[in-house]
Amino acid sequence: MSENIRVLTVDDSASMRALLRAALTSRGYNVSQAEDGVAALEWLTDNGSDIDVIVTDINMPRMDGFGLIEALREQSRFRDCPILVLSTESSDEKKSRARSAGATGWIVKPFDAEKLDTALRRVTH
Amino acid sequence: MLHNPDIAVGAPTRITVMQGQAYVGTGSHEILTTVLGSCIACCMYDPTARVGGMNHFLLAEPSPNSGTVADQNYGIYLMELLINQMMTRGGVKSRMKAHLYGGANMHSGMARIGDANARFARNFLMEEKIPVLRIDVGGEAARRVDFDPVMGRTRCRTVEPVAAPVPKPVVTPQSGGGELELF
Repeated sequence: MSENIRVLTVDDSASMRALLRAALTSRGYNVSQAEDGVAALEWLTDNGSDIDVIVTDINMPRMDGFGLIEALREQSRFRDCPILVLSTESSDEKKSRARSAGATGWIVKPFDAEKLDTALRRVTH
Repeated sequence: MLHNPDIAVGAPTRITVMQGQAYVGTGSHEILTTVLGSCIACCMYDPTARVGGMNHFLLAEPSPNSGTVADQNYGIYLMELLINQMMTRGGVKSRMKAHLYGGANMHSGMARIGDANARFARNFLMEEKIPVLRIDVGGEAARRVDFDPVMGRTRCRTVEPVAAPVPKPVVTPQSGGGELELF
């Protein structure tokens, strides 16, 4: 059941954050949000020990998605946490960079709420 | 010789931005153009980087009795696509300014989908804190928009309704689909 899945979404777009929150909370997820990589790291430092999955955009100010993934993989407590990229980008070069940084998978926007739900269940079970 | 965008010579290359597309100027002498009925075009410009682009979209209408508003996911995607492409060319989101055009209600008696599109675009830009410098939306007339992505100048004229392309059904972009690609 997704009721127990705690997800952190990271996206600089307020509109996208609202869309993700609506899609995920209606399916029972426990949703937290951050507006860029720096805010995500700060939130995870204080609250992130029990987070189940992270969904992050790539193009963000201050710290982009690549930087966030690299920073998280350097911390032992986030080494095994699933991290999905959700981005308008779809180039092999960007995907390869995310894979090297330690991302678990990639979803190209626009997202489909049902498919996102399936993807989150798949990587958290 | 360095390219000086203030001294562009010769005829510009005209780039037509079709429904479902976002295009960012390459820095050469270009004019981005589109014809709109109920669709919306957002012209975005970063005056410091002198980078500009245009998108052209129509939100999917909600299914009957669904009780939902028009599908904003696709509109957010095309706005984000435009912003991201500008960022890859040196644009900074906090410096960007927007012009909005289109959103006409071309056929009286039918759903006012033009209004829904215009409302979505205004709300998106407000939530993203991107100032709107010029807005010409609504009414019943089709519009032709020309945008200089280096100088940030737009021209919007009303045109005969037959000039507006028939909106295409909204489909998910082929490159996406929301499928998970596991690494």
